[in-house]
Amino acid sequence: MKFSKYFKDNLYKLWLFIAMMGLNLLIFLAFKVDRSVILSSTFLYVLSFLLILFIPYFRKKKFYDDLLANIASLDKSYLVLETLAKPEFYEGELLYQALYEINKSMNENVRLIEEHLQDFKEYIEMWIHEVKIPLSTLALISNNHRDKFDKKAKLPLKRLEDYVDQVLYYARSENAEKDYLIKETDLSKVIKNVGLKNMDDLLENRIDYVVEDVQHKVLTDSKWLEFILGQIVNNSIKYKRDIASSYIKISVQDEEKRTTLIIEDNGIGIKEADLKQVFDKSFTGENGRNTNKATGMGLFIAKNMCKKLGHKIAIDSKYNEYTKVLITFAKDKYYDVLK
Amino acid sequence: MIIEDDEIIANELSKLLENNNYEVIILKNFKDALREIFEVAPDLILLDINIPFINGEALLQDLRKESNIPVIMVTSINSETDEALSISYGADDYITKPYNPNILLLRIGAVLRRTKTNYNTNGNELTYKELKFDYQKGIIKRDDIEIELTKNEMIIFSYLLNHQNKIVTREELMTTLWDNSEYVNENALTVNISRLRNKLKEIGYEDAIDTRKGLGYILS
Repeated sequence: MKFSKYFKDNLYKLWLFIAMMGLNLLIFLAFKVDRSVILSSTFLYVLSFLLILFIPYFRKKKFYDDLLANIASLDKSYLVLETLAKPEFYEGELLYQALYEINKSMNENVRLIEEHLQDFKEYIEMWIHEVKIPLSTLALISNNHRDKFDKKAKLPLKRLEDYVDQVLYYARSENAEKDYLIKETDLSKVIKNVGLKNMDDLLENRIDYVVEDVQHKVLTDSKWLEFILGQIVNNSIKYKRDIASSYIKISVQDEEKRTTLIIEDNGIGIKEADLKQVFDKSFTGENGRNTNKATGMGLFIAKNMCKKLGHKIAIDSKYNEYTKVLITFAKDKYYDVLK
Repeated sequence: MIIEDDEIIANELSKLLENNNYEVIILKNFKDALREIFEVAPDLILLDINIPFINGEALLQDLRKESNIPVIMVTSINSETDEALSISYGADDYITKPYNPNILLLRIGAVLRRTKTNYNTNGNELTYKELKFDYQKGIIKRDDIEIELTKNEMIIFSYLLNHQNKIVTREELMTTLWDNSEYVNENALTVNISRLRNKLKEIGYEDAIDTRKGLGYILS
């Protein structure tokens, strides 16, 4: 609360006082009152004006100053009411009450939206489980009736599964509640499952899946990590170069405090201008525009999931040479002790 | 034994398994599942989590009170928590839909091998005619000739042995190799098979592995 502004706001009081004082002076002069009376009454006027100006200012200043300062310092400014003492002047009480009511109605609104979101998420999860049943049926039928079912049907079927999974993990990673379980996981097993899942695609595209020594254990949710790794491998397949020996090389770097999973390919790479944005939502970049197969969601979801799991994900690339994705897992000392 | 309420899936699953020399029974009465299981006394149960009357997890818990029949949980819910829960209830493996049929078969084989001691792929020695295959040492021998096999050749040969007289597709061999963390490509598979053929020839079994064009290989 700035005094200058407050004063300007109360300027009418000053004019009122001056007018009253003037009138009073005229009356005193008309009745030929003694000078000392005029002086003392003028002094009283000035004093009472100052009191009327300053007392409310100091009464209100604390409340409004706290209000503004707390709003500025809180990262969730709608919680400001919780931090304030109830004001002891009427205007403040009105404001306080109004803020309280607004807060309450907003909370109800937010709760409603959260409920809707939760319902929607549950529906999506249920829908995904439902949709997986006919997908499994198709996979089985295509396997059992090879004479009637073209082998080519397998790849679009896998794409379909991948897109369905993407929706599932998007819903899970965007959700506030914890949908994962962190435990000690064999990296080699995750890498194997991702390999098996993408085997047909890799063979079809003549990309070698090169796995170096990966006998390491990390703390993660294996399903989530499988999905994350799957997105990266999918990208490598999508953005391969037309050269004789395409590969995806997976290796692990083990250090004292962290373990890093490195996925490197010799695909078309990413231009420097696009590199910073690849983890952004719906970002497709030049590569995505050229191939027309990109949703721009894969890496965004992967990044979000890494954030939730507490892993670091980084990307490095040279256009027309390579793309390298690094996922870093912290080692938990406390966990080591428990073992 | 298959416990699955989606009829098409149950039928296709049973076809898949029958094609791979398993005897299959589909559970009919979900209301009295436990009794039917004990009547049939299967070697392995494929148990779907979403089944009528009682869910798969509860059925598994009931079953485990009385029996150690190997159980593979099959579900469309792909989450670590559910998997951990199923394993803690005593499931031997957990597979999520939509599954790759070849992988499903591998998992079934693996669980059976783990749990049943007299299953034919267990033990360290397999035989093919007069040939002895020592899986532990990685050698094949006949009389006094011994030839060492590489890991890939061993994987291929034991898969062919377990599916003797049946056409094995390249895809099946490929899946088996990858499942053993041997991520070979098409060329490497061809090379491995021709090397294996040469080694079998050296030991006296020329033409043991026959190529069926467009279908795969057969060991007869």
